[in-house]
Amino acid sequence: MSEDSTPPEQASGAVRLVHPGERIGGHDGAEAGHGIRRIDGELVAMRMGTLQENGQTVSVEPLSSRYTPRAGDLVIGLVEGMTNNIWFMDIGASFNAILPMSLAPWKVEFGAVREHLGVGEAVLCRVQEVDETHSAVATMKGMGLRKLKSGMLETIPPHIIPAVIGKGGAMLQTLKDLGDCRIVVGQNGRVWLDGEQDGMREIRSALKLIRDTAHLPGLKERVDALAGE
Amino acid sequence: MGYDNYQCMDANGIREDGRKADEMRPVEIVCGVIPVADGSARIKWGKNEAIAAVYGPMEAHPRKIQRQDRAILDVRYNMAPFSTTDRIRPGFNRRSREIGKVTRDALESVVDLELYPRSKIRVEIEIICAEAGTRCCGITAASVALADAGIPMSDMVVSVAAGKCNGIVLMDLNKPEDNYGEADLPMGILPMTDEIVFLQMDGDLSMEEFKQCWDYNVKAAHDVHAIMVEALRTRYGGDV
Amino acid sequence: MAIPIIPSLLRESLAEMASTEERIDGRSRYEGRNLEIEVDCLANAEGSCRVRMGDTIVLAGVKFQLMTPYPDRPTEGGLMTSAEVRPVCGPNWEAGPPSEESIELGRVVDRGIRESGCINTTELCILPGEKAWQVIIDLFAISDDGNMFDAFALAAIAALRTATVPAERFDVGEDYRLPVKGTPIMCSYHKVGGRFVFDANKREELGGDERIHITLGDEGHVHSLQKGLRGVFTATEFDEIMDQAQSRCAELREIVHNLEESL
Repeated sequence: MSEDSTPPEQASGAVRLVHPGERIGGHDGAEAGHGIRRIDGELVAMRMGTLQENGQTVSVEPLSSRYTPRAGDLVIGLVEGMTNNIWFMDIGASFNAILPMSLAPWKVEFGAVREHLGVGEAVLCRVQEVDETHSAVATMKGMGLRKLKSGMLETIPPHIIPAVIGKGGAMLQTLKDLGDCRIVVGQNGRVWLDGEQDGMREIRSALKLIRDTAHLPGLKERVDALAGE
Repeated sequence: MGYDNYQCMDANGIREDGRKADEMRPVEIVCGVIPVADGSARIKWGKNEAIAAVYGPMEAHPRKIQRQDRAILDVRYNMAPFSTTDRIRPGFNRRSREIGKVTRDALESVVDLELYPRSKIRVEIEIICAEAGTRCCGITAASVALADAGIPMSDMVVSVAAGKCNGIVLMDLNKPEDNYGEADLPMGILPMTDEIVFLQMDGDLSMEEFKQCWDYNVKAAHDVHAIMVEALRTRYGGDV
Repeated sequence: MAIPIIPSLLRESLAEMASTEERIDGRSRYEGRNLEIEVDCLANAEGSCRVRMGDTIVLAGVKFQLMTPYPDRPTEGGLMTSAEVRPVCGPNWEAGPPSEESIELGRVVDRGIRESGCINTTELCILPGEKAWQVIIDLFAISDDGNMFDAFALAAIAALRTATVPAERFDVGEDYRLPVKGTPIMCSYHKVGGRFVFDANKREELGGDERIHITLGDEGHVHSLQKGLRGVFTATEFDEIMDQAQSRCAELREIVHNLEESL
């Protein structure tokens, strides 16, 4: 669920912003990581983002991105449609995921899918697998996976998720304390909040602050200031 | 073509808008101008104003248009009714359709489509105010909008049109030069390699004039590229 | 327009918020979003206006064409309003022939302006029976974050009131300011979480029910009304929003007048 992850370093002057097509020189033996491709022997940035150099791999941390599903991801999906035995779920990726009847938590009769989960409903589920043609299968069999019956959904860009969770989950805890609510951060950038109206409103303001200013130093202080108000 | 009395240049080699033969019109670019889009850009180029919005990548509907091996680019180019002196009636327009298609051909040459099989990336280009070179503005704005949306590309397409008027080869044609001139060569260039992804030509150019137009376009493309990069950097916090 | 998925949680949250007099973006019930308005922004249009309300951004362009008056109305010109909501302005707007939504948008804005009588079509006559002006208002959406009705209506009237008749270009005399009598203003109310609110944003529209559009003239006279989408309302509810519209329209009217003076 909440992973231990650190937001990208934003130390003074140490970060390089790259644009699509930019040549990355001076890394002769390096591997091309995410967002980098080797073209005619040169390392080329493929996206707008910050350059990350981790040992022998050079990659680009994108400043804007669409969620890419990976097996094991915890996501919040929205039901877009169904057939007699599967649901089609919007998971905010470049393609939908399917939730087959066999992977639902209820005993579903063929043709009766609608009774359990209708269009527009939100579920907490896990990505079971993604194949090469990007067909994704989701499952609701697992601890804590369920239909979300109350609360609200907010959306944050996937690259902001580390900032929302913080080092060792610290930011997430700050948010939970701020609003006294349950919070689940889906790896697809959808955030579920459940609690009192006031609390959810506080958390939503904090999320907006994080979304707008995560790339600038001093994020923790700004959110704490919000909590202090 | 052929309004014989139009003089594109005075005795001092200055064009109607104050430029020399090898100068570009002023260009301004801003990103993120359409808040609800995944990426967007506005370009002001001389008196031209174009905006581009990018949505996606998203699941391609209906299923029959999906490609199993890659994303499809769904590109639309349109001129707003009030963009020209004479109002343009809204609706299907063949010229716009063709421009949309060649724009798509240009952008598909750089976008990493294989990263998103079965999906679709929408590119919406709208010309708000027109003054010659609108297709070039559109392609350029679309490139910036795609970068703004985080779509992976091997380079950004920069498009510009040189041409000839009164027998003189000119960089970045303005409206009367385009209307009354003898040739027009719009190109789409990849500034990192000077490769070409978009090329059209109308009129009459000798091989030497053609080469001169080509060189003008490559030079102009590099200048515009710097403005595109600056706009993107500004959007994302500039010099971090 | 493609039907977006309406998260069922959204409707429930909106209803809960309504019970505590809250809105999803923190505004009060009848509070409008941040408004930016600029005229004379389109070089090739004879009148123009750009309106931004929150993240909704629209353009209105006024252009003139020559027309032959209709045989049964030889001393009158014409007024036409066309609304284009193209896919550029949002993820759910599709390419293709005009959708019902965009047609309704154009026609409701048109009626508000036409029925107020602010444009006198006999004043558009150049030569009876032969030549007259056709005034065309083109509404163009750039970013749709809800309530395009009010944004379009405001942009349209501001563009009209600052338009110049291009007589010189058509060789029929000298350019002059288009005579516009009065400033009709539209205010729209959307039922969200069971009660009407002003200037709904996209999420409120998605999770809400019916909407009512009210266009009022200078004296507070009603010039056009439209109820859209599914839902019912009572006379009491209507009285309350009509009351709100009276004051809000007056405020917006003043903003338009101040703009004109600054030109």
